[in-house]
Formats: sequence, C-alpha cells, structure tokens
Amino acid sequence: MVLVAGKGPNRAVAGSSAADLSAAVGNGLMTKVLLIEDDSETAEEITAELSDRGFEVEWSANGIEGLDKARSSHPDAMIVDRLLPGMDGLTVIEALRKEQVRTPVLVLSALGAVDDRVRGLRMGGDDYLTKPFALVELIARVEALLRRPAESRETTLRVGPLELDLIERTAKRGDRVIDLLPREFRLLEYMMQRSDQLLTRAMLLEEVWNYKFIPATNLVDVHMGRLRHKVDGPGEAPMIHNVRGSGFILRTGP
Amino acid sequence: MAGRDLAPVTSSRTFGQREPMRQPQFVRSTTFRWALAVAGVLAIFVIVLFGFIYWKTDSYLIVRSDRMIARQLHYIAGLSGGRQLDAIEQHLEQDSRGVQYAGLFGPDDRKITGNLERFPPDLKMDESVQSISVLRTLPGGPQTRVIRAIAQRVSGGNALVIGREVDETREISHVVGQALALGLLPALCLCLLAGAWLSMRAQKRVEEVNRRVQRIIAGNLRERLPHRNVDEPFSKLAAIVNGMLDEMETMIHALAGVGNDIAHDLRTPLTRARLTLERGRTNATDLDQLQTVVDKAIANLDQSLSIITALLRLAEIENSRRSAAFGSVPLHDMLREVCDIYEPIAENKNVDLRVVIGQPLSVLGDQDLLFEAVANLVDNAVKFTPEGGKVGIELTRGDNTTIVRVTDSGSGISEQEREVVLRRFYRSEKMRSTPGVGLGLNLVAAIVKLHGFRLVIHSGPGGRMEIIFPDPRPSRVAPATKT
Repeated sequence: MVLVAGKGPNRAVAGSSAADLSAAVGNGLMTKVLLIEDDSETAEEITAELSDRGFEVEWSANGIEGLDKARSSHPDAMIVDRLLPGMDGLTVIEALRKEQVRTPVLVLSALGAVDDRVRGLRMGGDDYLTKPFALVELIARVEALLRRPAESRETTLRVGPLELDLIERTAKRGDRVIDLLPREFRLLEYMMQRSDQLLTRAMLLEEVWNYKFIPATNLVDVHMGRLRHKVDGPGEAPMIHNVRGSGFILRTGP
Repeated sequence: MAGRDLAPVTSSRTFGQREPMRQPQFVRSTTFRWALAVAGVLAIFVIVLFGFIYWKTDSYLIVRSDRMIARQLHYIAGLSGGRQLDAIEQHLEQDSRGVQYAGLFGPDDRKITGNLERFPPDLKMDESVQSISVLRTLPGGPQTRVIRAIAQRVSGGNALVIGREVDETREISHVVGQALALGLLPALCLCLLAGAWLSMRAQKRVEEVNRRVQRIIAGNLRERLPHRNVDEPFSKLAAIVNGMLDEMETMIHALAGVGNDIAHDLRTPLTRARLTLERGRTNATDLDQLQTVVDKAIANLDQSLSIITALLRLAEIENSRRSAAFGSVPLHDMLREVCDIYEPIAENKNVDLRVVIGQPLSVLGDQDLLFEAVANLVDNAVKFTPEGGKVGIELTRGDNTTIVRVTDSGSGISEQEREVVLRRFYRSEKMRSTPGVGLGLNLVAAIVKLHGFRLVIHSGPGGRMEIIFPDPRPSRVAPATKT
C-alpha cells in the first residue's frame, strides 16, 4: 500500500540514477548490481549505499520487471527480495537459473525461518539475508559474492607474510610457526581466502562454525581475539583488523 | 417446480438451519433412521417366524387328523353291514363340535346314511386322505364345506366316506394373529420410541455442545463441553475435547503473557534508543558526539531486533514438525565440539570448562537443534558462573536413558525459581546486568519438547541441568576409533 503511494517519485529517482550510471557503463569498470525490492525506502537506502561504494545499481520494484532487467542488462550480482508483487523473488531466481544465468544472487527476506532459508538457497540463491539487516552486512555479503574464491588447486594460501599449508595443516608468519587449534585453522583459512574483505560475525558464524543460530555470547569475538593473539605477535604489524560494530578484515596494510 | 423443490433439500444439509418442510428434526437424524430400519427388519423376522410356526402346526394337525379318519374308516369298514350303520350314527352323535363327517352310499351312489348330502364327485376311492368340498346335511338345508375326507368300497359294493373339518387350523391362525398383534406392535412402537428418544437426546446434546462452542468462539475460553460418566462415547469425546480446550486455554494465556513480556522487553531498548537520539539531536555539537549517540541508538535497536529474532526462532521451533530431519546424532562428538567452542570464553572468565564422556552415545534427533540446545545450556552455565568457578559437561547413561548433564559452580537455581526460569524473558534478578535476551532456556525447553526428550532443572546450590533422552531410540554406536 505504501508501495503504491511511493512508486511515482521513486521510480523517477531510480530511472535518473540508472540513466546517469548507464553513461558510466561505457568504460565497463563499474560493477553492476541489480536490486529487486518492492519497498522504495529500503531500495533507496541500499541503492545509495551501494553507489557510495562505487557500484552501479539498477532497481526494479517488481519481479517481472526485475526478471526482464536481469536478462537484458547482465548484472554482476543481484539482490532479490523474496516477497515481491507480480512474481515471487524465488521464482525470478529459478527462472534465471533455468536459463543458465549464473549471476550470484543474495536473497533478502523477512522470513527468517531456517526452512525458508534452506529453500531460498536451494532455489538458486547464493546467500540469504534476513530482514532487518545492517547495511554493512549487506555490502559485506555482496562483496563476498562478487569475490567468491575461485576453485583453486593451490595447497598453500599466502597473504603478505602469512602462509597456510592446507595439506600439512601448518601456519607460518614469516619464519615464525603459528600453532593453531583445528577451529582456529579453519577460521584463518576462511579469512585468508577472503583477505581484504569485511567478514561480518554472522558470516563467520555461518561459514566457520556452521551455526544456524545467533548465540547469546560473543563467540566470534573471543575466538577472533585468540587467533589475533597468535597471528599478530608482539612487535609485528597487525593483520587482523576489527571493524567496529561490523566485523573483521584480514589484510597486510594498516 | 423443480427449482422450488431444490431449496429444502439443500437447506436440510445445512446444520442447525430451520427447514421449511414441517418435519420433526429427530426424524431426519441417522439414529432415528437406523432405529426405523432395525424395527422394519425385526418385524419381517417376527412375521416369518410366526408364519413358519403356523405352517408347521397346521400341517401337523392335518397329519394327525388324517390318521384319525383313516383309522375310523378302517374300523367301520371292518364291521359287518348292519353294524356299520350303527357305528356311523354313533360316530356322528359323539361329535359335539360338528366337525365329523361320515356317509355310506350304495353302489348307485344313493345315500344310505350319514351327514353328507351326496357322494362327493371328486373323491377318489383309493383310500388316501384328500381335501375336497362336500355338501353337509343340516337342519337348515345342505351347506358346502371344505374338509379332509377318505373313501373306501365296503362289503356289498357300498362306498364309505369318513371326513373331518380341521377347525383347529382356524383357531391357530386366530391365536397367531393375536400373538402378532400383542407382541409385534408394542415391540415396533418401542423400537420407534427408543429411536426417537435416542436421536432427540443426541440432537439435544449436539445443540448443547453447539451452544457452548459458540460461546467459546465468542471468546469465553473458560467454557467446557458437558460430560457425565466416562463410559459413554459422547462423554468420552467431550472429555477429550475438554482436555484440548484446557491445553489451548493455557497456551492462549501463555501467549497473552508473552505479549506483555514482549511489550516490556522491547520497550526498554526502544525507549533508550529514542531518548539517546532525542538528547543527541539537541546536545551533540560535533560529528564525533553525534556518531557516539547514533552508535548507542543502533545498539539498542539491535537489542530489540535480537529479541524479535529470538522470539520468532522460539515460535518456529515450537510450531515445527521437523521429525523428517531427524537422524542419528553422536552426542559425544557434539559435546566435544560445544566444549571446543566455549573453552576460550570460559578461559577468558577464568572458568574451568570440562567435558566428561563415559562412552560414545547417539540419539535420534535434529543435529542442529540439539547442538543449539546444548550450546545454550553451556552458554548459560558459563555466563552465570563467577570467576574461578567450574562448568562441567557430562554424557552418561541412566536408567534406560542417555543423559547430557551440564553442571556449574554458580549460585544455581533456587527451588522457587525452578518453575519460573522456563518463562519467556525470565532473567534472574541478580543477573539483570548480564547481557542476554532471557529466552535461552525457553529455546532449550522447546527443542527438548519437540524431540520428546526431557529437560530437568535441579535446584541449587550449584547449577545442574539435564537433558534426558529416553531409550527406545538411543543406540550405542561403535566406539570411536580415536578418543
């Protein structure tokens, strides 16, 4: 109902921004994200945030139009709301997957139930984010989708002075051997595969701990604290960075 | 015409609606129709039975009567000519009821003596008893009667006829008719009355139930269905429905309570967020201050959201029927994993966290949910144990049960608190300052209940919680290759 009221002007906004950005498509450097979301205010915030971070955003308020845009403009990633007027978000994804379109999709939904999540992923979604979410979380996940580690045959991961031997299960920083517990190893492996990316607590819980729920205690922080203590020795430049209120980044620079 | 006929037919299908056709309601009930059918079948049986008795008696009487007249015939035929006449006359004189027939006819069919007008033309001379119609000589003139008769040539070429009217048959049919009238009619009436009474009673009870259900629908949750003794099916049904209503009433009250709790627990962080933002808007003078204010507000909003998430999760578990996802869950591995995860947290708090596994044990359940339940118990234990304390996770066998026990050296739960800890949002007063939503134990309870396991909370000193897995399912798995 709100949707109908807000449709006119917001369409105009989206249209103009799409027009502005389409000029930039020429150089082919900008990453294009298609957002299919019926709530105009949410869409506006997401669009603004993504644009600030240098993405080119296209917005559709309903499933049918969204599917057309996905077919015509070949986005690099898509953010799709589950409940959409016209055509359900999952149906859109299913239709695209049937056409062999492999664009990574982040499903947004107000339905948080585990079963819904599983269904969302089975229908072809690559990641699932429950509303309400933090914008940082959304961006982190879109980035993660765009920079999914390629299937590599490398048995050694390297980030700066950090070296992880996946076969020997050993870790080294420069010449210093780091003694890691199995779960710490898994955490470091996950982070090294995604170096320079913001990894949120929820992402780490899902991927490293395989948690299907958010625990009451700040598990991630405690474990990350221990890992950091081992990775960043005294006198060494810190590599694991805490991004306040959002998550962690592994990187060589400051 | 056809169209008009349709209306009453369809409306008679609708429950509790007045029918335009003036037919008493009980007549349409199945009970009454069954009673009617039973009465009909009973009547048919009784009539057939009586008919059979009549037929059998009748034929018996006829056979007896036939034997008698045959004997009479032979007796008279054996006498000499003159004594035959005497015997016939004597035979007829002795007959007070007027059922005996006898006649002696000359060779030219001329009547010599007897009460027969003339020799019955259809009667054969072969000494077999047969039914024929004869003319009887009476003071008022000859009358036609149907009798059983037998004839024989006797000495001198005369024809001797002996007959008898089997009047008992008439009497029997009269008696049978009377018996039928006296027996069957009252029985039929009784049947119909019983049918009508039963169906009216059932109808009344249905109406009573309907009235009460309407009251329940209208919102009177206290209302219950009437029931008297337990053996009657209707009462049994009512008792079952009442049990269901009890459960639902408790649930609805619990929900209402939850609603209040939610309102309270959500309002607190929302109020904080609102106040922070309001003050920040007027007082913040630079970007740093504003950011601090916004961070605080976001933290409070996140707290509200996590409450909603936890509630939804709880509702999801309580409403789920996900036994489809059940599989064998190796508890020993799971407990070690939980211990691994919470070990650093315990260590940070200087709490000694230990896992003791007697033997590898598995249960049938949902791996993720059981993990969540145990993790929640351990989370709670670590949280409520003061520095320097101990938390133990234990896997043992009880009486036909598998037990996961989480103990801590904290203050434990007092006897009074035991009931109340399972209430949503309950947080021990002493622990108000500890972060958390206060739904952890609810989640554990919901998960345990979903599996049909038991959660036992022992009272302090020292916390002790047990998840008890009753045996039918648990099976011992082969010992792990390496422990």
